[in-house]
Amino acid sequence: MLVSLRDLRVALPPGADRPLAVSDVSLDIARNEIVCIVGESGSGKSVTAHAIMGLLPRGVVTTGGSILFDGVDLLKEPPAALRARRGRDIAMIFQDPMAALNPVVAIGGQVSEQIRAHRAIPESLALRQAGDLLSQMGLKDVAGLLKAYPHQLSGGQRQRVMIAMALSLSPRLLIADEPTTALDVTTQAQILKLIKAIQAERQMSVLFITHDFGVVADIADRVAVMRHGRVLESGPVAQVLGAPAHPYTRALIAAVPRDACALPPLPQAAPLVRVTGLSKRFRRGGLFSRRADVAAVDRVSLILNRGETLGIVGESGSGKSTLARCVIRLLDPDEGAVLFDGADIARMKARGLRPLRRRIQMVFQDPFSSLNPRRRIGDILTAGPRAYGEEAGAARARAAEMLRLVGLNPQAMDRFAHEFSGGQRQRIGLARALMLKPDVLIADEPVSALDVTVQAQVLDLLDDVRRRMNLAMLFITHDMRVAAQVCHRVMVMRHGRVVESGPTREVFAAPSSDYTRALLAAIPGCGRI
Amino acid sequence: MRFLRAFLSRPVALTGLVLFAAIVAVALAAPLLFARGPFAIVGMPLLPPGAPGLLAGSDVLGRDMAVGLAYGARISLLVGIASTLGAVGIGVLLGAVAGYYGGLVDDLLMRVTEFFQIIPSFVLLMVLVAFLQPSLASTVIGIALISWPQVARVVRGEFLALRAREFVQAAKTLGLSDARIIFAEILPNALPPILVVSSMMVGSAILTESALSFLGLGDPNLLSWGSMIGGSRSAMWVAWWTTVLPGLCIMVTVLALAFIGDGLNDALNPRGRR
Repeated sequence: MLVSLRDLRVALPPGADRPLAVSDVSLDIARNEIVCIVGESGSGKSVTAHAIMGLLPRGVVTTGGSILFDGVDLLKEPPAALRARRGRDIAMIFQDPMAALNPVVAIGGQVSEQIRAHRAIPESLALRQAGDLLSQMGLKDVAGLLKAYPHQLSGGQRQRVMIAMALSLSPRLLIADEPTTALDVTTQAQILKLIKAIQAERQMSVLFITHDFGVVADIADRVAVMRHGRVLESGPVAQVLGAPAHPYTRALIAAVPRDACALPPLPQAAPLVRVTGLSKRFRRGGLFSRRADVAAVDRVSLILNRGETLGIVGESGSGKSTLARCVIRLLDPDEGAVLFDGADIARMKARGLRPLRRRIQMVFQDPFSSLNPRRRIGDILTAGPRAYGEEAGAARARAAEMLRLVGLNPQAMDRFAHEFSGGQRQRIGLARALMLKPDVLIADEPVSALDVTVQAQVLDLLDDVRRRMNLAMLFITHDMRVAAQVCHRVMVMRHGRVVESGPTREVFAAPSSDYTRALLAAIPGCGRI
Repeated sequence: MRFLRAFLSRPVALTGLVLFAAIVAVALAAPLLFARGPFAIVGMPLLPPGAPGLLAGSDVLGRDMAVGLAYGARISLLVGIASTLGAVGIGVLLGAVAGYYGGLVDDLLMRVTEFFQIIPSFVLLMVLVAFLQPSLASTVIGIALISWPQVARVVRGEFLALRAREFVQAAKTLGLSDARIIFAEILPNALPPILVVSSMMVGSAILTESALSFLGLGDPNLLSWGSMIGGSRSAMWVAWWTTVLPGLCIMVTVLALAFIGDGLNDALNPRGRR
């Protein structure tokens, strides 16, 4: 075994929601294998990884057990020896490469500095080694890349640079903490392939932290499932995925959305929203610099029928959110029309728009910023109806009822948003939108910030609400699996244009464009779970 | 409650609060303690502190320094607080509108703000006060007019960051009016930095008022710490207490307000709560 964790205990500072972040975790990582720790937020998976690295946040301390690295207990090593190990024996890559890279130092300088911190070699040689490393990571135009700054790179390129830096000293263990979570799905597939290839080539060990069972299926040799700081189950990947022993593992795997259950298209219904030739350009530059227009949405047309869910799928920068914000007039479109119940709301002035506003509502992505932290839930829910003249008592009574409908206790009215979990906040956000009795609900990545089990519950709730209220739903997502689960029809967008659209079943079974095929092929764990 | 505990648990903040409360108490109690007023002549001029009946000595005209200091606190605090309220009012309004609407409105309002910032503010203040005739009201108006750009900048920055938050977009889709979004949704979230800036601003307004009064541009019918120093500068070398004591009062008050501002900053910033 290269690494053996034995009964590892990590304590949280007093006042945290539980005393131990990690309790009695034992885990082995053999030479030349990839071990995945999978778990939801708060499971202690990241803390375990950081404990091996000796990089726990302030106030979080190991209180028992041992971390044997090649027979040496890292917890008993002096700090200087541990520091020398970091990078040389154990290296780490993170979720957000932009935050881990220094924005004012060129890539070449950062990679060569990493090398020179451990080896006394001249800078020119270190730079050459850095270039070699980058090309091994599958990066093109290495000479230009060495001179580039982090902000000039794409997310995938940045993560490749981070991996190059981590591998620059040929560590024996690479710890990867959700390295693909912030990436687009096609980029994620490439990075996973790269990590797997490098691991096989260098015969090193990888500890891979993830929340996604699809990623586990793609990359792991062995897997450990964590919850509340404990390892519930571990074993070879085929065994854990094929015959999960613990009920929680079964629940996690069952919660992964699958395309098998794609909804059948609805029989033709009355169109409620008709978007034609909609374009939105963003202007860069100002008074004295040259102006450049970027077309975020380029001549997009769509029809949304009453009672159906239309999915808009695309990677970051595809214009899907901009399109949604134009439809609800949070942004003013430059061209095209948005016909809602016969009226063109794309050109309407604020006064004319106001009575129509309440009929199109939105659920937002980020459960932490979509509720005003300074107001009570009751005020948040009744603000809309009150603005349209509903009497306070009646609005509160309806708010209580609405909270019950979304599965919350009406006592939530007197509390503040920070007292709720992410999933509960999304339910409150949905209740706020429903308070105005809308006809159209726009859901902008409503589950992408949630754990997978919570994600499944919120998706069920959305579908339930759509059916009960006969809502037309515009569902924006980057996740093909989620789209497959809740959408009757999907529209695939790329660079502001519609690449393909049609009934979900048809698009998934027989995609007509190469891009859609690439998106489907990049779904982690595709066909394996 | 949690905020109050976080604030009071800091020795610096607590010291500031106690000092400031003591100064406010003296200022409020001055007419009860010294009914004769600060201009009454009580004895020989330039008696040192500790002379019979004179805790802080007497000034160049034989007036009781202790009475002057107590009444001076009234004027200094009044000017400090009133002008800060004025500056915060203007600054919040313009900063909020500029930050919320952005674009052309923002450009326009920020140019106005910069106009006030690039003029040497004390010179502008002297011109303003001289033009309006020196009085308590003109001092307050003048200080408010030179101080608001600082508030406007802070508020604009907060609004720029907050208007992109999803709860603001949600408020728009709910059909709330712009005024409600600005004042009821966003402003409460921008309060912490405004509070910090204001507490510091009271201190600097007191300093500015002292400087004005020292130059003889204060209200001639009122005694403030600044005018006490100004009136005694000829006796500075023979009777130190006539200038040092009011100077000390100014220093302690400004220091207390700076401590409070510092404590507010730490207590309101969640990441600062250690």
